[in-house]
Amino acid sequence: MASDSQAEDEEQEDALLSDEEEETEEEDEEDNVDVDVLSNEEIDALMKEYGNVVRSDPEPRKSSAEDANADAEALSMATALATAANEVKAVDIKLFHVKPLIYWARYFLIASAFSMPQVNAIVGRIEDIAQEQYGKIPRPSGKPSGWTLMDFDIYTAGDVVVHIFLPSQREFYNLEEFYANAPLVELPFVSESSSSSTARSDAEGESEEEMISLS
Amino acid sequence: TIRPQTYSNVADNSGARESMRIRVPGASNRQYASIGDMIVAVVREAVPNMPPKGSEVVRAVIARTRKGLNRDNGMAIRFDDNAAVAIDREGNPKGTRVFGPVARESRECHFAKTVSSAPEVLRGIRRNRMMLR
Repeated sequence: MASDSQAEDEEQEDALLSDEEEETEEEDEEDNVDVDVLSNEEIDALMKEYGNVVRSDPEPRKSSAEDANADAEALSMATALATAANEVKAVDIKLFHVKPLIYWARYFLIASAFSMPQVNAIVGRIEDIAQEQYGKIPRPSGKPSGWTLMDFDIYTAGDVVVHIFLPSQREFYNLEEFYANAPLVELPFVSESSSSSTARSDAEGESEEEMISLS
Repeated sequence: TIRPQTYSNVADNSGARESMRIRVPGASNRQYASIGDMIVAVVREAVPNMPPKGSEVVRAVIARTRKGLNRDNGMAIRFDDNAAVAIDREGNPKGTRVFGPVARESRECHFAKTVSSAPEVLRGIRRNRMMLR
Protein backbone atom coordinates (compact mmCIF):
# COMPACT_ATOMS: atom_id res chain seq x y z
CA MET A 1 0.00 0.00 0.00
CA ALA A 2 2.84 2.31 0.83
CA SER A 3 4.81 1.67 -2.36
CA ASP A 4 1.65 1.78 -4.39
CA SER A 5 0.85 5.14 -3.07
CA GLN A 6 4.37 6.29 -3.94
CA ALA A 7 3.94 5.28 -7.57
CA GLU A 8 0.48 6.71 -7.65
CA ASP A 9 1.83 9.86 -6.19
CA GLU A 10 4.38 10.33 -8.92
CA GLU A 11 1.78 9.70 -11.55
CA GLN A 12 -0.40 12.22 -9.94
CA GLU A 13 2.46 14.64 -9.77
CA ASP A 14 2.73 14.33 -13.51
CA ALA A 15 -0.95 15.02 -13.63
CA LEU A 16 -0.09 18.47 -12.38
CA LEU A 17 1.24 19.17 -15.86
CA SER A 18 -2.24 18.99 -17.22
CA ASP A 19 -4.88 21.49 -16.44
CA GLU A 20 -5.70 20.38 -12.96
CA GLU A 21 -6.50 23.39 -10.93
CA GLU A 22 -6.96 21.49 -7.75
CA GLU A 23 -3.57 20.51 -6.52
CA THR A 24 -5.38 19.21 -3.53
CA GLU A 25 -6.76 16.27 -5.43
CA GLU A 26 -3.60 14.27 -4.81
CA GLU A 27 -3.41 11.45 -2.40
CA ASP A 28 -1.35 11.98 0.61
CA GLU A 29 2.09 10.45 0.38
CA GLU A 30 2.46 9.18 3.88
CA ASP A 31 -1.04 7.94 4.14
CA ASN A 32 -2.25 6.20 7.13
CA VAL A 33 -5.41 8.18 6.83
CA ASP A 34 -7.66 8.91 3.88
CA VAL A 35 -6.46 12.40 3.47
CA ASP A 36 -7.06 13.87 0.04
CA VAL A 37 -5.35 17.08 0.70
CA LEU A 38 -1.68 17.84 0.64
CA SER A 39 -0.75 20.82 2.69
CA ASN A 40 1.35 23.56 1.21
CA GLU A 41 4.37 22.50 3.18
CA GLU A 42 4.09 18.98 1.86
CA ILE A 43 3.84 20.23 -1.67
CA ASP A 44 6.87 22.41 -1.13
CA ALA A 45 8.74 19.44 0.22
CA LEU A 46 7.80 17.38 -2.79
CA MET A 47 8.90 20.19 -5.04
CA LYS A 48 12.25 20.44 -3.36
CA GLU A 49 12.80 16.75 -3.58
CA TYR A 50 11.53 16.00 -7.03
CA GLY A 51 10.81 19.21 -8.67
CA ASN A 52 12.38 21.11 -11.47
CA VAL A 53 11.17 24.52 -12.45
CA VAL A 54 10.92 24.40 -16.21
CA ARG A 55 9.13 27.60 -16.81
CA SER A 56 7.98 30.28 -14.48
CA ASP A 57 5.46 32.99 -14.81
CA PRO A 58 6.95 35.97 -16.63
CA GLU A 59 4.65 38.15 -14.59
CA PRO A 60 5.53 36.93 -11.13
CA ARG A 61 3.48 38.03 -8.22
CA LYS A 62 5.13 41.03 -6.71
CA SER A 63 6.30 40.87 -3.18
CA SER A 64 4.28 43.09 -0.95
CA ALA A 65 7.21 45.43 -0.43
CA GLU A 66 7.60 45.97 -4.15
CA ASP A 67 3.91 46.37 -4.46
CA ALA A 68 3.81 49.02 -1.79
CA ASN A 69 6.58 50.87 -3.61
CA ALA A 70 4.64 50.65 -6.81
CA ASP A 71 1.56 51.95 -5.03
CA ALA A 72 3.45 54.92 -3.67
CA GLU A 73 5.04 55.68 -7.01
CA ALA A 74 1.73 55.36 -8.80
CA LEU A 75 0.10 57.70 -6.32
CA SER A 76 2.80 60.32 -6.66
CA MET A 77 2.72 60.08 -10.42
CA ALA A 78 -1.05 60.28 -10.50
CA THR A 79 -1.11 63.39 -8.34
CA ALA A 80 1.66 64.95 -10.42
CA LEU A 81 -0.33 64.29 -13.57
CA ALA A 82 -3.46 65.67 -11.95
CA THR A 83 -1.57 68.83 -11.08
CA ALA A 84 -0.31 69.03 -14.65
CA ALA A 85 -3.83 68.74 -15.96
CA ASN A 86 -4.97 71.41 -13.57
CA GLU A 87 -2.31 73.76 -14.86
CA VAL A 88 -3.75 73.43 -18.33
CA LYS A 89 -7.15 74.27 -16.91
CA ALA A 90 -8.78 70.91 -17.15
CA VAL A 91 -11.91 70.82 -15.07
CA ASP A 92 -13.51 68.27 -12.82
CA ILE A 93 -10.31 66.40 -12.18
CA LYS A 94 -10.89 63.28 -10.15
CA LEU A 95 -8.46 60.66 -9.08
CA PHE A 96 -9.94 57.27 -8.33
CA HIS A 97 -8.05 54.56 -6.56
CA VAL A 98 -9.32 51.62 -8.57
CA LYS A 99 -6.88 49.00 -7.41
CA PRO A 100 -9.43 47.27 -5.15
CA LEU A 101 -11.77 46.96 -8.12
CA ILE A 102 -9.51 46.18 -11.05
CA TYR A 103 -6.34 44.27 -11.33
CA TRP A 104 -5.02 46.04 -14.38
CA ALA A 105 -4.83 49.58 -13.04
CA ARG A 106 -4.21 51.34 -9.80
CA TYR A 107 -5.45 54.83 -10.42
CA PHE A 108 -7.81 56.40 -12.86
CA LEU A 109 -7.41 60.07 -13.45
CA ILE A 110 -10.47 61.54 -15.08
CA ALA A 111 -10.52 65.08 -16.35
CA SER A 112 -12.63 67.18 -18.66
CA ALA A 113 -11.51 69.59 -21.32
CA PHE A 114 -13.65 71.88 -23.36
CA SER A 115 -12.11 71.62 -26.79
CA MET A 116 -9.83 69.41 -28.80
CA PRO A 117 -6.91 71.86 -28.70
CA GLN A 118 -7.24 71.84 -24.94
CA VAL A 119 -7.27 68.06 -24.93
CA ASN A 120 -4.10 68.08 -26.98
CA ALA A 121 -2.55 70.56 -24.59
CA ILE A 122 -3.39 68.41 -21.60
CA VAL A 123 -2.06 65.32 -23.33
CA GLY A 124 1.16 67.11 -24.16
CA ARG A 125 1.56 68.44 -20.67
CA ILE A 126 0.92 65.09 -19.05
CA GLU A 127 3.31 63.33 -21.38
CA ASP A 128 5.99 65.89 -20.63
CA ILE A 129 5.63 65.57 -16.89
CA ALA A 130 5.53 61.80 -17.03
CA GLN A 131 8.61 61.70 -19.19
CA GLU A 132 10.64 64.22 -17.24
CA GLN A 133 9.78 63.28 -13.72
CA TYR A 134 9.10 59.57 -13.99
CA GLY A 135 10.51 58.50 -17.29
CA LYS A 136 7.24 56.95 -18.37
CA ILE A 137 5.77 57.01 -21.81
CA PRO A 138 2.11 56.28 -22.31
CA ARG A 139 1.18 53.17 -24.16
CA PRO A 140 0.05 54.05 -27.66
CA SER A 141 -3.69 54.20 -27.81
CA GLY A 142 -4.80 56.05 -30.86
CA LYS A 143 -5.36 59.68 -31.62
CA PRO A 144 -6.82 62.10 -29.12
CA SER A 145 -10.56 62.32 -29.53
CA GLY A 146 -13.68 62.85 -27.48
CA TRP A 147 -12.40 60.30 -25.05
CA THR A 148 -8.64 60.35 -24.83
CA LEU A 149 -6.92 57.71 -22.85
CA MET A 150 -3.33 57.53 -21.66
CA ASP A 151 -2.03 54.39 -20.12
CA PHE A 152 1.09 54.51 -17.97
CA ASP A 153 2.94 51.53 -16.58
CA ILE A 154 4.76 51.41 -13.36
CA TYR A 155 5.33 47.72 -13.44
CA THR A 156 3.99 45.39 -16.06
CA ALA A 157 0.39 46.28 -15.43
CA GLY A 158 -0.60 49.78 -16.40
CA ASP A 159 -0.99 51.60 -13.20
CA VAL A 160 -2.16 55.05 -13.95
CA VAL A 161 -4.75 55.47 -16.63
CA VAL A 162 -5.65 58.99 -17.58
CA HIS A 163 -9.02 59.67 -19.19
CA ILE A 164 -9.62 63.03 -20.75
CA PHE A 165 -13.13 63.70 -21.86
CA LEU A 166 -15.09 66.37 -23.56
CA PRO A 167 -17.94 67.16 -21.18
CA SER A 168 -20.60 65.53 -23.34
CA GLN A 169 -18.54 62.39 -23.68
CA ARG A 170 -17.90 62.26 -19.99
CA GLU A 171 -21.61 62.19 -19.34
CA PHE A 172 -22.18 59.70 -22.09
CA TYR A 173 -19.67 57.15 -20.87
CA ASN A 174 -20.21 57.91 -17.22
CA LEU A 175 -17.11 56.12 -15.95
CA GLU A 176 -17.54 57.72 -12.58
CA GLU A 177 -20.72 55.78 -12.10
CA PHE A 178 -19.13 52.60 -13.30
CA TYR A 179 -16.29 52.99 -10.86
CA ALA A 180 -18.33 54.59 -8.16
CA ASN A 181 -17.06 52.14 -5.59
CA ALA A 182 -13.54 53.33 -6.05
CA PRO A 183 -12.38 55.71 -3.35
CA LEU A 184 -11.52 59.19 -4.47
CA VAL A 185 -8.08 60.44 -3.70
CA GLU A 186 -7.78 63.95 -2.42
CA LEU A 187 -5.82 66.19 -4.68
CA PRO A 188 -3.45 68.87 -3.45
CA PHE A 189 -5.29 71.53 -5.35
CA VAL A 190 -8.88 72.48 -5.72
CA SER A 191 -10.24 71.40 -9.04
CA GLU A 192 -12.49 73.65 -10.98
CA SER A 193 -15.90 72.35 -11.60
CA SER A 194 -17.39 72.96 -15.00
CA SER A 195 -20.40 75.23 -14.85
CA SER A 196 -22.72 72.60 -16.22
CA SER A 197 -21.90 70.18 -13.45
CA THR A 198 -23.22 72.18 -10.53
CA ALA A 199 -26.39 70.12 -10.63
CA ARG A 200 -24.36 66.95 -10.53
CA SER A 201 -22.23 68.23 -7.72
CA ASP A 202 -25.31 68.53 -5.58
CA ALA A 203 -26.13 64.91 -6.18
CA GLU A 204 -22.64 63.56 -5.55
CA GLY A 205 -22.43 64.98 -2.06
CA GLU A 206 -19.41 63.40 -0.46
CA SER A 207 -17.04 63.60 -3.38
CA GLU A 208 -17.48 67.26 -4.02
CA GLU A 209 -15.88 68.70 -0.90
CA GLU A 210 -12.81 69.66 -2.84
CA MET A 211 -14.68 71.23 -5.71
CA ILE A 212 -15.52 74.84 -5.88
CA SER A 213 -17.71 76.04 -8.68
CA LEU A 214 -16.72 79.37 -10.04
CA SER A 215 -19.59 81.70 -10.42
CA THR B 1 -10.41 33.58 -35.27
CA ILE B 2 -13.05 35.57 -36.99
CA ARG B 3 -13.27 35.03 -40.70
CA PRO B 4 -15.30 36.96 -43.23
CA GLN B 5 -18.98 36.27 -42.77
CA THR B 6 -18.53 35.24 -39.19
CA TYR B 7 -21.37 36.29 -36.97
CA SER B 8 -20.45 37.61 -33.59
CA ASN B 9 -22.48 38.93 -30.74
CA VAL B 10 -22.16 42.57 -30.02
CA ALA B 11 -21.18 42.77 -26.42
CA ASP B 12 -22.15 46.29 -25.58
CA ASN B 13 -25.19 48.49 -25.23
CA SER B 14 -24.72 50.31 -28.50
CA GLY B 15 -27.93 48.79 -29.77
CA ALA B 16 -26.61 46.21 -32.16
CA ARG B 17 -27.01 42.61 -31.19
CA GLU B 18 -25.26 40.62 -33.83
CA SER B 19 -22.82 41.61 -36.46
CA MET B 20 -21.21 39.91 -39.36
CA ARG B 21 -17.61 40.54 -40.16
CA ILE B 22 -16.79 41.93 -43.55
CA ARG B 23 -13.16 42.90 -43.51
CA VAL B 24 -10.20 43.75 -41.44
CA PRO B 25 -9.30 47.31 -42.28
CA GLY B 26 -5.76 48.06 -43.25
CA ALA B 27 -4.84 44.82 -44.96
CA SER B 28 -6.12 43.89 -48.34
CA ASN B 29 -6.93 40.26 -47.95
CA ARG B 30 -6.56 39.44 -44.34
CA GLN B 31 -8.41 36.29 -43.45
CA TYR B 32 -8.31 36.04 -39.72
CA ALA B 33 -9.11 38.47 -37.03
CA SER B 34 -8.68 37.64 -33.41
CA ILE B 35 -9.07 39.20 -29.99
CA GLY B 36 -7.91 42.79 -30.02
CA ASP B 37 -8.27 43.29 -33.75
CA MET B 38 -10.52 45.84 -35.28
CA ILE B 39 -12.94 44.61 -37.89
CA VAL B 40 -15.46 46.16 -40.19
CA ALA B 41 -18.80 44.48 -39.76
CA VAL B 42 -22.38 44.88 -40.77
CA VAL B 43 -25.05 44.91 -38.13
CA ARG B 44 -27.27 41.93 -38.65
CA GLU B 45 -29.58 42.26 -35.76
CA ALA B 46 -30.26 45.29 -33.70
CA VAL B 47 -32.27 46.34 -30.72
CA PRO B 48 -35.31 48.17 -32.03
CA ASN B 49 -35.41 51.95 -31.85
CA MET B 50 -31.71 52.36 -31.35
CA PRO B 51 -29.18 53.99 -33.64
CA PRO B 52 -27.57 51.01 -35.34
CA LYS B 53 -29.96 49.61 -37.82
CA GLY B 54 -29.81 46.24 -39.43
CA SER B 55 -27.43 46.48 -42.40
CA GLU B 56 -25.48 49.41 -41.07
CA VAL B 57 -21.75 49.06 -41.42
CA VAL B 58 -19.84 49.54 -38.20
CA ARG B 59 -16.37 49.02 -36.90
CA ALA B 60 -15.83 46.78 -33.95
CA VAL B 61 -13.11 45.40 -31.75
CA ILE B 62 -13.15 41.72 -31.07
CA ALA B 63 -13.47 41.04 -27.39
CA ARG B 64 -13.95 37.29 -27.20
CA THR B 65 -13.51 34.42 -29.57
CA ARG B 66 -14.22 30.75 -29.27
CA LYS B 67 -10.76 30.05 -30.52
CA GLY B 68 -9.24 32.25 -27.92
CA LEU B 69 -5.60 32.96 -27.62
CA ASN B 70 -2.39 31.68 -26.12
CA ARG B 71 -0.31 33.77 -23.86
CA ASP B 72 3.41 33.56 -23.50
CA ASN B 73 3.23 32.32 -19.98
CA GLY B 74 1.60 29.17 -21.25
CA MET B 75 -1.98 29.99 -20.48
CA ALA B 76 -4.67 29.63 -23.06
CA ILE B 77 -7.99 31.33 -22.80
CA ARG B 78 -11.10 30.48 -24.76
CA PHE B 79 -14.58 31.87 -24.59
CA ASP B 80 -17.98 30.45 -25.29
CA ASP B 81 -18.95 32.91 -27.96
CA ASN B 82 -17.54 35.31 -30.48
CA ALA B 83 -18.18 38.82 -29.38
CA ALA B 84 -17.21 42.27 -30.51
CA VAL B 85 -17.66 45.77 -29.21
CA ALA B 86 -18.83 48.45 -31.63
CA ILE B 87 -16.49 51.40 -31.98
CA ASP B 88 -16.33 54.47 -34.11
CA ARG B 89 -13.55 55.38 -36.48
CA GLU B 90 -11.42 56.84 -33.75
CA GLY B 91 -11.61 53.81 -31.54
CA ASN B 92 -14.12 55.16 -29.03
CA PRO B 93 -16.74 52.60 -28.06
CA LYS B 94 -20.18 53.33 -29.38
CA GLY B 95 -21.97 51.99 -26.36
CA THR B 96 -21.29 52.91 -22.80
CA ARG B 97 -20.87 49.49 -21.25
CA VAL B 98 -19.46 46.22 -22.38
CA PHE B 99 -21.12 42.99 -21.38
CA GLY B 100 -19.25 39.93 -20.37
CA PRO B 101 -15.57 39.48 -19.81
CA VAL B 102 -12.92 40.67 -22.23
CA ALA B 103 -9.39 39.46 -22.53
CA ARG B 104 -6.81 41.98 -21.50
CA GLU B 105 -5.12 41.81 -24.88
CA SER B 106 -7.55 44.37 -26.23
CA ARG B 107 -5.82 46.82 -24.00
CA GLU B 108 -2.47 46.06 -25.41
CA CYS B 109 -3.87 46.50 -28.89
CA HIS B 110 -4.82 50.13 -28.34
CA PHE B 111 -8.35 49.51 -27.16
CA ALA B 112 -8.03 50.29 -23.52
CA LYS B 113 -11.32 52.14 -23.63
CA THR B 114 -13.24 48.94 -24.22
CA VAL B 115 -11.47 47.45 -21.29
CA SER B 116 -12.39 50.43 -19.13
CA SER B 117 -16.10 49.87 -19.66
CA ALA B 118 -15.92 46.14 -19.21
CA PRO B 119 -17.14 44.38 -16.11
CA GLU B 120 -14.42 41.82 -16.12
CA VAL B 121 -11.02 41.73 -17.68
CA LEU B 122 -9.54 38.28 -17.80
CA ARG B 123 -5.99 37.45 -17.25
CA GLY B 124 -6.74 33.82 -16.70
CA ILE B 125 -5.99 31.64 -13.77
CA ARG B 126 -2.71 32.36 -12.17
CA ARG B 127 -0.75 29.27 -11.59
CA ASN B 128 2.91 28.50 -11.62
CA ARG B 129 3.54 25.67 -13.94
CA MET B 130 5.81 23.26 -12.27
CA MET B 131 7.06 19.99 -13.47
CA LEU B 132 7.73 17.29 -10.94
CA ARG B 133 9.69 14.31 -11.97
